Amino acid sequence: MSFDLFKAEGEIIDNAKAVLDDGKATKTTIRNEFQSLLKSYQKLFKESRRLVRMSDRNEAQLSQVAKNLDEKSKVLEALSEKLSKYLSPQVYELIFSGERDGGLMTERKKLTVFFSDIKDFTATTEDLQPEDLTFLINDYLTKMSEVALKHGGTIDKYIGDAVVIFFGDPVSRGIQDDALACVRMAIEMQRRMVDLRAKWLDLGYERPFHMRIGINTGYCNVGNFGSADRMDYTIIGGEVNLAARLEGICVTDGITMSNETYMQVRDHVPADPLEPIQVKGIARDVRPFSVRGILEETGTKKRFIRKEAEGMRYFFDLERMDPKRRKRAAKELEKIVTTLRSDD
Amino acid sequence: MDNIKIEGTDRSPEIDFEFSNNKFSIRGESYPEDVTAFYGQIIENLETHLSDMDGGNVEFNFELIYFNSSTAKVLMGLFDTLEETAEEGVSVTVNWYYDEEDDTMEELGEEFAEDLEAATFNMKTLET
Repeated sequence: MSFDLFKAEGEIIDNAKAVLDDGKATKTTIRNEFQSLLKSYQKLFKESRRLVRMSDRNEAQLSQVAKNLDEKSKVLEALSEKLSKYLSPQVYELIFSGERDGGLMTERKKLTVFFSDIKDFTATTEDLQPEDLTFLINDYLTKMSEVALKHGGTIDKYIGDAVVIFFGDPVSRGIQDDALACVRMAIEMQRRMVDLRAKWLDLGYERPFHMRIGINTGYCNVGNFGSADRMDYTIIGGEVNLAARLEGICVTDGITMSNETYMQVRDHVPADPLEPIQVKGIARDVRPFSVRGILEETGTKKRFIRKEAEGMRYFFDLERMDPKRRKRAAKELEKIVTTLRSDD
Repeated sequence: MDNIKIEGTDRSPEIDFEFSNNKFSIRGESYPEDVTAFYGQIIENLETHLSDMDGGNVEFNFELIYFNSSTAKVLMGLFDTLEETAEEGVSVTVNWYYDEEDDTMEELGEEFAEDLEAATFNMKTLET
């Protein structure tokens, strides 16, 4: 193929060289060649200017397109950030990374299901103003969700004051580790509730929340349920109902788990057996276990120190006190101790 | 000369060269990976055909949305060829179609028109 984008320019240069190399070229020949060279140069100059202009125009257009894309991308990013709040982070991650399709698809998997609610929620909150109730429930759900995410739980849904969380989908660390993560999460939640109650009492809420928890391990259907237009990533099955039922028989501030969960965690979590129960939809007798020593000291530092008695009331938020503030508080307490002792 | 018909792609334009009717058109976007490979043979065929003509009419339609600098160089060479053909006595009509909202294509058409004297250059807006 002899097509060359710059064929004409090449020929002009070759001609000019030939004339220069020709020792016998006459003045007329040189003049004619020079004129031809000038004409070609003028043409080339025009073309160069045109190409530069065109290149600038294309660059400006591309820059505008890139800017528009950037703006659209920012809008989409902000939108997906807002939408992400309605999804469990693990599910959001799978959908946005393209690993999971958004279609109606479910599968049967062995999961550990967590179910919790607030004891006597209606009675506890009936005297509260809506604003106070909103603050309390949001504070409670925020802290519990933090703990759930820390342990890798998939937050299925909030149903009023109840929380449903499961382990084993979309990410599983194995049935045993999933069960252990769930129970450890539940223990941390109950411990965190102690601090939360201290805070709420200090804020003036007389009847702070107490939580009950039920945990079960078993085969569930997990995936997208609903219609093609509106679907929920959730779990269904008798084993889910059992978790709710176990929560129903749980003592205040306790954690009740099924035998199936206990079998997975018994080497790590002490528990006491309870009387077997019968659950609608489950043929076998269910043997529950109550987790022991949930609120025992674990060596982990507490955030709040609070005490209230007749004529005495104190509250410390250790996270908000740097070493300087703690030292000052200690001095104040020493003064108080001296005053109290001087009255003996 | 056999007619040439090449379907357009994301990067290369549709080519429709009807040598039998002396009607030629280039439509679409043009930023092929290898401009020489894409345009080489068809431009050579066109140049051979035009140089063999003795009188007659040639119609060339351009309907371009976007093209890169290499394509612009091809087009400038093509306009030179068309102008030379017209100077040889062939009636050459170039129709430059552009979207009325596309200022870039309009300006480029106007610039190319400046180079043609013997050939007729028509600016035409696309009907939407």
